[in-house]
Amino acid sequence: MKHYGWLLLAALWAAGCGAPVDEAAEGEPAALRIAVIPKGTTHEFWRSVEAGARKAEQESGGRIRVFWKGPLREDDRDQQIQVVEQFMAQRVAGIVLAPLDSQALVRPVATARKAGIPTVIIDSGLQSDQLVSFVATDNFKGGEMAGTYLAELMGGKGQAILLRYAVGSASTEQREAGFLNALQAWPEIRLISSDQYAGPTRETAYQASQNLLHRFGREVEGIFCVNENSTIGMTKALREIGRAAGQVKLVGFDAGSQSIKDLKNGDVQGLIVQDPLRMGYEGVKTLVRYLDGGVVDERIDTGVTLVTESNLEDPDVRPLLYPPLERYLP
Amino acid sequence: MKAERRWRSWRPAAGPLFGLAAVLALFAVDPELRAIFFSGSNAKLVLTQTVIVAVGALGMTLVIVSGGIDLSAGSVVALTGVVAASLLVAAVPPVLVVILTLAAGALIGFVNGSIIAWGRMIPFIVTLGMMGVARGLAKWLGNNQTVNPADNSLNLLMEPRQPLQFFPLPPGVWLAAGLAAAMAVVMSRTIFGRQVFAIGSNEEAARLCGIPVRRRKIAIYALAGLFFGMSGLLQYSRLTQGDPTVAFGLELEIIAAVVIGGASLNGGSGSIVGSVIGALIMAVLKSGSGQLNWPTYMQEIVIGAVIVLAVGLDRLREWRTGR
Repeated sequence: MKHYGWLLLAALWAAGCGAPVDEAAEGEPAALRIAVIPKGTTHEFWRSVEAGARKAEQESGGRIRVFWKGPLREDDRDQQIQVVEQFMAQRVAGIVLAPLDSQALVRPVATARKAGIPTVIIDSGLQSDQLVSFVATDNFKGGEMAGTYLAELMGGKGQAILLRYAVGSASTEQREAGFLNALQAWPEIRLISSDQYAGPTRETAYQASQNLLHRFGREVEGIFCVNENSTIGMTKALREIGRAAGQVKLVGFDAGSQSIKDLKNGDVQGLIVQDPLRMGYEGVKTLVRYLDGGVVDERIDTGVTLVTESNLEDPDVRPLLYPPLERYLP
Repeated sequence: MKAERRWRSWRPAAGPLFGLAAVLALFAVDPELRAIFFSGSNAKLVLTQTVIVAVGALGMTLVIVSGGIDLSAGSVVALTGVVAASLLVAAVPPVLVVILTLAAGALIGFVNGSIIAWGRMIPFIVTLGMMGVARGLAKWLGNNQTVNPADNSLNLLMEPRQPLQFFPLPPGVWLAAGLAAAMAVVMSRTIFGRQVFAIGSNEEAARLCGIPVRRRKIAIYALAGLFFGMSGLLQYSRLTQGDPTVAFGLELEIIAAVVIGGASLNGGSGSIVGSVIGALIMAVLKSGSGQLNWPTYMQEIVIGAVIVLAVGLDRLREWRTGR
């Protein structure tokens, strides 16, 4: 038994090593193989990113092939490293990566670079100088936009609340900083709370909102929530104390089906939305441009848009709320 | 005589070895994959991805052979990873960091073993409790966040320096190989090792033969904790950060490796070589199915099925050879 095992092993390895490596068909150049690695695969946001990547693939007319694969378990840094390594072993032409962590993915990206595989980072930053480009939402700008809009809604004066998301989350911290920066221009707006955190789930956000409103519910006139869950949780809590429907002005971030509903019925006055489809699309396009020897920008902003009740049916806003996924996804 | 003895020590590993060959054969069918998969650079990747589970499996083999189980392994890996990172942030010299991190792992194991031995509680419950305690401690120590030290020499443990060729292997791979060899000798050639088998086969008989069962159990869990601490150190080096949420469910992967390697959860049987091959089988499966671009849910299904299949075949083989 033992001998068979070893023999089989050795034979397999030898067979593998002896096999011809070039796979390109004669005459026709092989397609550029691009790996796109999201943070996870189930969330709506990442489905839009995939749609964007597929859009770039379809437009290329067979010149590029996109491989879409997320970590086995969401939010598991080690698993995402494994996915990067697997694509490296497959010798893809390049990688588009949304890193789960700004630090833990630094080495895999550097190692891939050493193996001649460039990486474009999308969505969240990476503390590395080894990347080709960073394609993402300008979250600071989004926060500023929210601050200015909220201040205008409040008529330039009154008491406001900022509900933060979580310590150490770079993208939301930038939104918070942008919001605070914008409020500097409005001296008559007083921030009565800016040190509370919504936490990771809709439930934790709801609880934090209830607690905040229990304390400040009578005085507050304007609120900014920095992500989807906190927006939904705060809206629910406002409805409970009977101060929804515009009594307290609420500006949120990101758009899911629930927050769009809240916007339509007037409980939410504005949503700052990102463009994940464009993020996936630009990520792949930028990488291909780089592989073709073109010049690419270090930082590409995929844009933020303020959505209100009045513009949500506009032809350039609607696709942000209802991305045409079925057109691009299999 | 000598040949026979060698055969005896390899025999338990024959089943897992066959399993490994079968899994490799699976990925040799597709010619496009074969060229990529059976290359030096990929072999290096698979080995690097194996070591964290493999080192943990060394400790787990000891525990399982003695008739116990340790469900706290994954949490201890996370905790010791955060311990290492926190010490590095506090500018403790790397050598001392290694010693203290291993000591932290061994301490957790010592607590497990002491409660199991003196409290007469079953290992499943005690280590289930420790699974929560260690995970919580990791989050407390890391203040609910990852701990990021500056660049240091421990980061090199798992660094794949030349990604396109097999050598040089990361030091962690050599370390794991050395530890496995040492443990194989301990398990088969030392009195301690034989006593572990004796306790796992029949605890009462072992006690009547004069083996200090309680003290041995404490030593077994403490030693296992030491190996989990080693895994934690390697996990730290792989992420270059201490992450309190890492290695969630890793204990089950480690147990699966040990069981695929031919150990019985009833105790009394198992081998180090088998466990290491078990860990390799799972890493090969993960890597191969990833490179075949199977969707992630397919990977999970296949790996789950293979665990049951591998153990089932091994039991069938044992039954037919009349063991």
